[in-house]
Amino acid sequence: MSPSPSILSVLSEDLLVRVYGFLDPPCRKTWRLASKEFHRVDSLSRTSIRILRVEFLPVLLSKYPNLSSLDLSVCPKLDDDVVLRLASNGAVSIQSLNLSRATALRARGLETLARLCHGLERVDVSHCWGFGDREAAALSVAAGLREVRMDKCLSLSDVGLARIVLGCSNLNKISLKWCMEISDLGIDLLCKKCKDLRSLDVSYLKITSDSIRSIALLPKLEILEMVNCPLIDDDGLEYLENGCPSLQEIDVTRCERVSLSGVVSIVRGHPDLQHLKASHCVSEVSRSFLHNIKALKHLKTLWIDGARVSDSSLLTLSSSCRSLTDIGVSKCEGVTDIGMTGLARNCLNLKTLNLACCGFVTDAAISAVARSCRNLETLKLESCHMITEKGLQSLGCYSKLLQELDLTDCYGVNDRGLEYISKCSNLLSLKLGLCTNISDKGIFHIGSKCSKLLELDLYRCGGFGDDGLAAISRGCKSLNRLIISYCGELTDAGVEQIRQLEHLSHLELRGLKNITGAGLAAVACGCKKLDYLDLKKCENIDDSGFWALAYFARNLRQINLCYCSVSDTALCMLMSNLSRVQDIDLVNLNRVTVEGSEFALRACCNRLKKLKLFAPLRFLLSSELLEMLHARGCRIRWD
Amino acid sequence: METEDDLCQNNWGSASILDYEMAMEEGESDLQVFKASSGQDNNGQANVDVLQGVKAQAWDPRTMLSNLSFMEHKIHELQGLVHLIIGRNGQLQDEQQQLITTDLTSIIIQLISTAGSLLPSVKHHHNMSTTAPGSALFPYPREANNLASQTLNTNCGDLDLPKPIVLEEVHEMKNEDDAEEGENLPPGSYEIKQLEKEEILAPHTNFCTICGKGFKRDANLRMHMRGHGDEYKTPAALAKPNKESLPGSEPMLIKRYSCPFPGCKRNKDHKKFQPLKTILCVKNHYKRTHCDKSFTCSRCHTKKFSVIADLKTHEKHCGKNKWLCSCGTTFSRKDKLFGHIALFQGHTPAIPLEETKPSAGASSSQSGSSGCNNAGMVSFNLGSATNANQETSQPGFMDGKINFEEPFSPLSFDTCNFGGFPRSIFDDSESSFQMLISSACGCSHINGGDGSDSNTSV
Repeated sequence: MSPSPSILSVLSEDLLVRVYGFLDPPCRKTWRLASKEFHRVDSLSRTSIRILRVEFLPVLLSKYPNLSSLDLSVCPKLDDDVVLRLASNGAVSIQSLNLSRATALRARGLETLARLCHGLERVDVSHCWGFGDREAAALSVAAGLREVRMDKCLSLSDVGLARIVLGCSNLNKISLKWCMEISDLGIDLLCKKCKDLRSLDVSYLKITSDSIRSIALLPKLEILEMVNCPLIDDDGLEYLENGCPSLQEIDVTRCERVSLSGVVSIVRGHPDLQHLKASHCVSEVSRSFLHNIKALKHLKTLWIDGARVSDSSLLTLSSSCRSLTDIGVSKCEGVTDIGMTGLARNCLNLKTLNLACCGFVTDAAISAVARSCRNLETLKLESCHMITEKGLQSLGCYSKLLQELDLTDCYGVNDRGLEYISKCSNLLSLKLGLCTNISDKGIFHIGSKCSKLLELDLYRCGGFGDDGLAAISRGCKSLNRLIISYCGELTDAGVEQIRQLEHLSHLELRGLKNITGAGLAAVACGCKKLDYLDLKKCENIDDSGFWALAYFARNLRQINLCYCSVSDTALCMLMSNLSRVQDIDLVNLNRVTVEGSEFALRACCNRLKKLKLFAPLRFLLSSELLEMLHARGCRIRWD
Repeated sequence: METEDDLCQNNWGSASILDYEMAMEEGESDLQVFKASSGQDNNGQANVDVLQGVKAQAWDPRTMLSNLSFMEHKIHELQGLVHLIIGRNGQLQDEQQQLITTDLTSIIIQLISTAGSLLPSVKHHHNMSTTAPGSALFPYPREANNLASQTLNTNCGDLDLPKPIVLEEVHEMKNEDDAEEGENLPPGSYEIKQLEKEEILAPHTNFCTICGKGFKRDANLRMHMRGHGDEYKTPAALAKPNKESLPGSEPMLIKRYSCPFPGCKRNKDHKKFQPLKTILCVKNHYKRTHCDKSFTCSRCHTKKFSVIADLKTHEKHCGKNKWLCSCGTTFSRKDKLFGHIALFQGHTPAIPLEETKPSAGASSSQSGSSGCNNAGMVSFNLGSATNANQETSQPGFMDGKINFEEPFSPLSFDTCNFGGFPRSIFDDSESSFQMLISSACGCSHINGGDGSDSNTSV
């Protein structure tokens, strides 16, 4: 392709920028390789970037001067020193910073970053287990912060939260999921000082109703998530009845002590509620609940998974809340075809339907849903054993917008069914795990028609073989995630075909006994973007495969080598060459000695974030290695 | 309602009584001084008598009789003295005046104390109502003053004594544990008492009339009294004096107390006078506000207290105040700290400092060029392995107190030499292993590709 320079010279820069704006990410890569001018447009227009290697960070930052969003979540070797060096490169206009899993980054680096980026508004430090009060204090220097995500910052206590709350009083979104040290005191202070809070996530915290009392005083709160808060009860939720006037979304899923009366009190107080997620805490949809939920004219999402729902109540519910787009009734006793048919008739705008484990739902219900709800995008039918090809036929006929279909453990699904499904050409995600009745023939239909597919789960689908996999590899070029664990028929011939999937980043080959080094080498060669690889119990892969992996799979971030017959040298090479590797499972490696493990780990210990090791190694590996791993923010799980 | 003058007289009476009590407790030396100052033989004799009376008094009618006759004798003596004054018709020399006053004082004090020694028997035998109210159990200023003034002025043994000695005791016991708090009694609805400084600072208020031992509580005194004979073991003697024994018909005027310190808000002359509820309140208030803080905490050596109970309370928690605010205030409880922070603008909780020490140790060993040698000494510190020393936003506050260790730098890893491992293991992508592969496989070196992922999601 050689566009004539004359055409391009006609296009002014702002026109080029507009054209660039319509491109999707893969095309942009092509775009910037086209010419210097295009490259310049790309450099100026790009606002967000995800850094894969810390070595390129300074160059990339200087190359893209208008970046506003920087994602360092998958970047290995990110530590205080890197950040300090970065500081010398000049100020950055970053507004959004993702430091998720940057476990080696500590207070000093965070403070530098916070001072460096004056306009910082969003920070994500989730899953940094080392992120504690000191780090929080450092982060609180960024006074303009509006959104902070601190999921699973295990060392963060009320004191650290207080520092952030007091330093950044303009917060309007904060997530404290799994910050197990946070107590009522911290939440109380947060609610007192950050009156602009719009979104709050306190899931899994050991907070009591006192916190809810404080939260209820937030005037602007719109989204409140408190999944699995074991100490919150109905009395606490009663505070919400008269509090939080702006509340639009609430999630009380799996709150053990919350019952129907608590949910009813929320509903009573907020007629404008749009999203109500009360899975696994409502035991039964009672008359009073139905009476109150009728008032919610704007309700879009309703999750009542695990509740006992009768057909009549489902009908009443759907006839009053006609704007529902997302319904979750998984594991609900009493959901039958009659109820679902009624629901489908009433809720024509339905986009997401979760019917997992509703064993009495048959093809009739699915057909009714497919016919009425033409906008259906997500359908979860896990373990609905009565679903057969008839139901899938109507899905294929009517649900042209279907993007996500979960048929895990539906053993009524067969090749004919897959043929029907393949007509849903917009399908992005298809889960067929444990569907043992499908063979190459069915898979072939999927491969030939579902070209947009991003995710395909074929876990333990023993019925298909190399030809099916070849069809998938040929057809679903944009496939991102592929799970073919325990598909026992597969051999090297099939697996080698995977190399055609250039965009593949997540591959699970667990338990494929027939594949050898040749198969793995082909995969490593072809799938340049491979990021996650599960090779557990692939016992016949020899060193040649691992050598190839070490050489080609440069983007590999997470690898599971349990029960593999990798040798000392191959392991050492893997670990030293895979410069992005951050998460490895190394349990039950029969051919690897203690010295081998030691050398391999030393080779990659500056980039590891998570490590699973054979428990006795704890005493056999050198203490300075373990110590170094800790210092670099690596968590070791001894198995 | 008493006038100011009355109150002043009260003060005089009670103060002298208290002085005497203190003397009793501290031993005879003070009495000797007293004797020397009195200057007359018979007075000295009387002092000895008093001493004996106090120390060896047995609670039988005979002792009482002898006490009474002693008092009779003293009253006659007093009468004589007063007559003498009248005879001279006020034309006394200064020295004579002084002598007589001293005599008068000494005799009156003896009288009061002896009368006081009769007191428990008053409780026992209600018929013996002519005994004087005592200083021994409780300083009862008004009555003592009455007695003194009556003896002085009316010159006779017609001691029409008010009875509510027991009442006063109950009053004190009941209110001892009350907290000092503002109450809105209209002025005039209560009786104001003001104790003198010495009285307030006296360690004990209840004294054993037999051995002179002092007690803070009358219950303890009653327990003590059991040791002096069987008659103190009767239920009536051990019972806590209560309201039932009072003459219920008499209206009880509420008593409130004034601090003797001039200008104090608790002083009755203050414009916004706030009375103190009980004697104990008076004592604690006076010590806390107007006395030196002589008790120093043995742990922190900084906090000082004037009330020993306060010191003990503090020592219980001293050093446990781990919750620290940026303003320097410490709290023993987290909720108190958070309440403080919520209240004051600009205050933030400080990060506990203990964490810095282990990390400093770790960093020093890691940054050494021979990191392997001392690795054994280093304990893992997950939370703060690297440079956990940056206390942001209050550098000034922290600087004065801690010496930060040299911040740990990851760069120093590069200098580590791990037991003969062939290369610096923290090198970037170009490693010896890579070279090994290139040569072994014969593959051409392919670059990993673009460093960045084309991820435009925000």
